Amino acid sequence: MACEQALQVQAYVDGELDAFGAAALEKHLESCAECTSLRNDLETLKSNIRGAASYYRANPVLEQRVRTTLGLSGQSARRGRNRRPFWLGAASGALAAALAASLVAALWLPSAQQIAPDVVSAHVRSLMDDRLVDIPSSNHHVVRPWFAGRADISPPADDFAKEGFALAGGRIDYVHGERAAVLVYRHGAHIVNVFVWRDDGAARAGENTLNGYHLIAWKKGNLFFCAVSDMAEAELGQLTKLIREKSSD
Amino acid sequence: MDERRQRFERLVLPHLDAAHNLARWLSRASVDAEDIVQEAMLRAYRAFDGFRGEDAKPWLLAIVRNCHFTAADKKKRHRSEPLPDQGATELPAGGPDPEGIAIGAAEMRRLNEAIATLPTEFREVLILREMEDMSYREIAAATSAPIGTIMSRLARARALLRQNYLGKESA
Repeated sequence: MACEQALQVQAYVDGELDAFGAAALEKHLESCAECTSLRNDLETLKSNIRGAASYYRANPVLEQRVRTTLGLSGQSARRGRNRRPFWLGAASGALAAALAASLVAALWLPSAQQIAPDVVSAHVRSLMDDRLVDIPSSNHHVVRPWFAGRADISPPADDFAKEGFALAGGRIDYVHGERAAVLVYRHGAHIVNVFVWRDDGAARAGENTLNGYHLIAWKKGNLFFCAVSDMAEAELGQLTKLIREKSSD
Repeated sequence: MDERRQRFERLVLPHLDAAHNLARWLSRASVDAEDIVQEAMLRAYRAFDGFRGEDAKPWLLAIVRNCHFTAADKKKRHRSEPLPDQGATELPAGGPDPEGIAIGAAEMRRLNEAIATLPTEFREVLILREMEDMSYREIAAATSAPIGTIMSRLARARALLRQNYLGKESA
């Protein structure tokens, strides 16, 4: 790589730059096609590896053998690592669409409907309260750390202004008996709230429509996402696809 | 169970999957990976009194790494063992419907092979960064290498993947 900023681009993609460094690098990206192309490739690689490469968990027999050898209790209290399913992160284009379609069909269970009323009322409340965002920013290096200190999760908070979905900021909300991190996007006159909780395994991925609001829910890693908006289903699908596939994890 | 065992169970055992994943990617053979993990857990348990702090992951993975290199050296000296099943891939347990696996499997295999054929020192930093989500500092601690070295190895690993997997010009 000829540009001497290449290692900085890598550090940016890995989230190793502070806000100041990230801002400087973003400025550099505007004028350097080589680094922009590098950034895009690094992000593609990142999401493909996280989504599609094999993760070899220890099998229960091995765990039992280790426990026996060390005289530890026989009971496994180990929480399963939440393996990101490969069909969420990596696949691109038609493959992703095909997989996503089968995924939605396969995982759509009634429990997603149970949270729908709460999510919709939280969405409506956010529009009426004039408290849409607690932290107004389109910079994920600002929004993400802000969440980290307030919710016990730190979801990816990427701006997709280029694709028509500008990140307006973040908010903490209390929905369905749980504190949620909320990402707020604007699409023309429409507002999208993306609620994010730690996945407790109870809620299921799927789609729903309630009182004219569309909801799309999915899981990634140990997070559970639910996007809600009054905009067309296809457009909401576009945004959720971006968040799933293009987020800087 | 005594206090030491409880502490080990709380701090170290949660990283068993990470230990196995690293061992499996380093050795590229599932049987070897299990031996490495077992040996590493035993060594970790013996050395546990010397461990300070709360985050045992880099510490444990450093031990896994050492166990791998010791085993690999031994193997090289004997030369009687079969070669590692390089490039062989196993689908992770669970996952979506069989049809979905069929569609994704070819892509997974191609990516797995591209990673498996990276030189070891590049492969390991990539695994720790992308699969274990470790910071440069944590990777440096696990591999006993300076951060600058981690960054350049990571860059080399990615340049090779960019070339061999994404099909882009060499960086």
